[in-house]
Amino acid sequence: MAFGAGRREGRRPSLPGSGAGPRPEPDAESPALSPRDATDAPIPADAPPRPARRPGNPRLLAGLLLLGGLAAGAALADAVAGLLGHDAFAPDLFSRFEPPSAAHPLGTDELGRDILLRLLYGARVSLAVGLATALAASVVGTLAGVVAAWRGGLVDALVMRLADALLALPALPLLVVLAAIDPARLGLPARGEGLGTAGADILRITLILALFGWVGVARLSRAAALSVLARDHIRAARALGATEARVLRRHVLPNILAPVAVATALAVGGAVLAESVLSFLGLGIQPPAPSWGNMLANAQELVFAAPLSALWPGLAILLTVTGCNLVADGLRRR
Amino acid sequence: MARLIAARLAQMAVLLALLSFAAYMLIGLMPGDPVDLAIMADPRLTAADAARLRALHGLDQPLLARYGAWALAVLHGEFGFSRLYARPAAAVLWPALGSTLVLLAASLSLAILVGVGLGALAALRPRLAPFVEALALLGQAVPTFWLGMLLIILFAVDLGWLPAGGEADAPGLLAALRFLALPVATLAIANLAAYARHSAAALETALREPWIRSARARGASEEQVLWRHAAPNAAVPVLTIAALDAGALVSGALVTETVFARPGMGKLIYDAVMGNDYNLALLALLLTAAVTVLSGLAADLAQRALDPRLRDA
Amino acid sequence: MPAAEPVAAAPRRWYRWRMRRRSTLLLAGTLPLSLARPLARPALAQPAARDTLTIGITQFPSTFHPNIEAMVAKSYVLGFCHRPLTAYDADWKLVPMSCEALPTLENGLAVREEAPGGKPGLRLTYRLREGLRWGDGTPVSSADLRFAWEAGRDSATGFGGAEFYRSAHALDVVDARTVTLHLDKVTFDFASMGDFVPLPAHIERARWEADRHGYRSRSAYETETANPGLWNGPFRVAEVQPGAGVTLERNPEWRGPEPAFRRIRIRTVENTAALEAQLLAGQVDMVAGELGLPLDQTLALQRRTGERFRFAFRSGLAYEHIDCNLDTPILADRRVRQALLHAADRARINERLFGGKQTIAQTSVNPLDGVFDEGVRRYPYDPARAAALLEEAGWRPGPDGLRRNAAGETLSLSLMTTAGNRTREAVQQVLQGMWRQVGVETRIRNEPPRVFFSETMSKRRFAGLAQYAWLSAPEGVPRSTLHSDEIPRAERNWSGQNYTGFRNAEMDALLEALPIELDRDRRTALWHRLQAIYAEELPALPLWFYADAHIWPQWLEGVRPTGHLNLSTLWAEQWRGR
Repeated sequence: MAFGAGRREGRRPSLPGSGAGPRPEPDAESPALSPRDATDAPIPADAPPRPARRPGNPRLLAGLLLLGGLAAGAALADAVAGLLGHDAFAPDLFSRFEPPSAAHPLGTDELGRDILLRLLYGARVSLAVGLATALAASVVGTLAGVVAAWRGGLVDALVMRLADALLALPALPLLVVLAAIDPARLGLPARGEGLGTAGADILRITLILALFGWVGVARLSRAAALSVLARDHIRAARALGATEARVLRRHVLPNILAPVAVATALAVGGAVLAESVLSFLGLGIQPPAPSWGNMLANAQELVFAAPLSALWPGLAILLTVTGCNLVADGLRRR
Repeated sequence: MARLIAARLAQMAVLLALLSFAAYMLIGLMPGDPVDLAIMADPRLTAADAARLRALHGLDQPLLARYGAWALAVLHGEFGFSRLYARPAAAVLWPALGSTLVLLAASLSLAILVGVGLGALAALRPRLAPFVEALALLGQAVPTFWLGMLLIILFAVDLGWLPAGGEADAPGLLAALRFLALPVATLAIANLAAYARHSAAALETALREPWIRSARARGASEEQVLWRHAAPNAAVPVLTIAALDAGALVSGALVTETVFARPGMGKLIYDAVMGNDYNLALLALLLTAAVTVLSGLAADLAQRALDPRLRDA
Repeated sequence: MPAAEPVAAAPRRWYRWRMRRRSTLLLAGTLPLSLARPLARPALAQPAARDTLTIGITQFPSTFHPNIEAMVAKSYVLGFCHRPLTAYDADWKLVPMSCEALPTLENGLAVREEAPGGKPGLRLTYRLREGLRWGDGTPVSSADLRFAWEAGRDSATGFGGAEFYRSAHALDVVDARTVTLHLDKVTFDFASMGDFVPLPAHIERARWEADRHGYRSRSAYETETANPGLWNGPFRVAEVQPGAGVTLERNPEWRGPEPAFRRIRIRTVENTAALEAQLLAGQVDMVAGELGLPLDQTLALQRRTGERFRFAFRSGLAYEHIDCNLDTPILADRRVRQALLHAADRARINERLFGGKQTIAQTSVNPLDGVFDEGVRRYPYDPARAAALLEEAGWRPGPDGLRRNAAGETLSLSLMTTAGNRTREAVQQVLQGMWRQVGVETRIRNEPPRVFFSETMSKRRFAGLAQYAWLSAPEGVPRSTLHSDEIPRAERNWSGQNYTGFRNAEMDALLEALPIELDRDRRTALWHRLQAIYAEELPALPLWFYADAHIWPQWLEGVRPTGHLNLSTLWAEQWRGR
């Protein structure tokens, strides 16, 4: 039997209506890039129809509202800064750890900076990491999965063996190794050259997280594509002379978008959490750029002295992940 | 079955060989070698000292040659000495693995118990399903170190009921349990969401199956229907996830171990990687990868045992 | 939360209990509110008889051999268990530890002689104290010193710093307790034996002779750390829990003053918030300042806990400073460096962030050091003076508030430090703001410590300013950081620590004259001149000397922090419980 084939065959049919095996989601602390919940999404074709829940899809709506609110906050950071009249980046040693007030709605941090503003600017960085990682993982994963399903044979075997191998790796320790290596030795832009420091950090973290994140999407989209390609109307379309490109574009891609969208939504939250873990280990986004991860990691050291400054970034991460999960759930139940 | 196992073991061997190569090269790509680290710790070391120590540790050899030597030794069963701890890498590894396995077993059991319980609740009482879902969501979304720190503050500092961290300082089961309680709770809360979701979904599906209806028609009580007929069905996904979690948790509990000051595998791998301790890092990485593959295999075998449909496949 | 809740027996009830619990924990957010309560009350009752002292530190001593790899955690543990020949005490004076007297030229234990090759050398006589024994009863003897010297001389052994063994070209055993040591140089601190310590030859010699290359990992210090014969201090290592801690027991063979504690437990908690939690929960009695909580975290703890603990802040020899790469055109101008220091309000940073506990530095010489010059040039906060200096150097304010030179270039510098060090990152951001006030832009670019030190600094790849700390010994001559021969260069395999690229002929001469000047007064004059050049030229901007924050229980007395690399545990037999 070929390397790894048994595993895929063995695992997949077991989950109700699933098209792919669950991705190990190490310890929610360790980066859950393609959370298993994405992979057990019932694929429309072969899942038993769920009883209709409530009309209007409140989950999707709530999730979108939540994420939209956070994104709007990030977009409006400058406007809020103008309104409050503070600079989120200028330390003020005379107003450290101030309690919430009209001037500082959420109080100030250890350097006297407005926590609300830093949360909003942090949202830019954290959401950028989340979105970029999720998109990168989804694009690469979808391409790999669809190509594997479409070409079959050696290509399929290679892609899926690679995916299997990545799944068997201890993810968190390898993330740590990857985050610690010197990008200059790989010919990548070193920290702080070319891009801004924060930009380079975002790129670095996105690359590392996407390296592991694409696997789940690939398995998922391969399974979905296989089921689509096996359908009668595809055979009919091919018989009628449709080009392969057209088959893929018109029939395969639209049909796998739903599960991929679910996986992408979940991956955003996973990446935001993963960034906070890397920050906790000192390998995340570097100050002075605020990210929720580094705000939280900073605050945890002073958690006894200023518990509230740890609360807010934690809450922001929690809301983002919750929002992503709600969106994913909503998409899945549509 | 035998073919499956043989294939999987062959796969594991190839994977471990590739992983060892990749990890060795990656650690080599990290800036600074062990001697640089020694110089950072002791500014009195001179350039001559550095050159002497490099030669002594074989660091003046090219990375590939070092990997070759290492791989050859490993094939002879020699895992070498840990640079950080100056003792055989295996001797450093076993206690950490023990500590991790205890934590892992306890927290996975708790996560499964609570998760499946919540899942069953959601399946049986659809009114409560949104609450279960909200709890699962929250558990999944809370950053672990934040959760751990909050638990420490509440139960160890404010209430003084449980120790704030560390390993048991007295013999006995009770002491061990007291020291385990908070880290286990932290990990369990973070991991239970999947169990709740999957068991709920599986139970819901199972409860709609025709044979459940016939069991009910035969007059089986709801309890009987649930535990005797529907539950085995739900056990399949739960087992699968548990096996995968087990593989991931062997190396992935780094943050929990840090917050609760427990010297486990996650911490060990992190320190070994950061300290350029090739022998220890490689051995630990290979071991965790092997555990991941083996737990995946165990899950497959268990599924086959549980689900008759798969046996023929 | 009772851990033994009967879960499996009553699943239904348990669901409900679990749900309620979780909703209070996570949804209602009661936890953060509970934090607001005062924490002044001990959470766990202290045992009545205090025969055990539990100490929290933030690093695990991964090796235990006295000569392999320097590490503060190891020095801390060895201080209890293994006594060196000499050490600097809490008053920064060199004192004899396991030898009877320090050799001096006056007492005849040190004699000038000619070393091989005609260089001036010294003959030093050390006599071990009477009654000093290893934990298995074997007396500590000349053979132990002879073995340590032989092992150190052999480059195969892999001891860390070998400079001493190169210089100590011969060691003769006079009698069971006396050795003479021949050095091939004469320096003012010749009596300090540093890391040259007796090693138990009766255990270690055979292991070393069997395999010198493998001695590092075959030594009994690593393989049988709890062997009593390895330890000659008031305590001995009884048990090692890898990664978690070390337990020490009283050494029955110790003939010095009786220690007050029967057992010392040293617990490693790397995360400082977790360490604070363990202190508050009563799991550790004290936090060692040498490897303890950051200063600001300690100050906050002190404010909240009132009288529950005793706090001591001891300024030490860790010199925090900002290296200026003098090959950067902007920083090559001395006036710019002086302006930067005038524009940095170090006193205010110290006051606001560190409760005024750090000692503001004027140069790399600590004010507590005997050779400190009170009259050294100081740089008080003076933005006007800074602006004037910058004008003089040709940097005038532009439309955006940043200064520009005649060529239109902006006065912009990169400012680096070690990523992940919260305190440093905070200071850095405050400095950035202060320099912005005088029209200087700084771009923060931090790197993880291992990149920062082993690539960027050691190969001088930093373009502007770099903030970090040096550790030194009392009256440590800063040759490696200030001598022009010590500028790291590719040709010299990047050796040396003069990262700023400082070249000053007079400084070079001073650094060569200082170590060999045995007359205290003349040496002090040289030190004053060194500080004057440093303060004028500012190769690095001095910030402060770090204060270690020691946290003790009210009942503990007698701990004397030293502030240098000979740690407080070397005098642990004087620690007393009340």
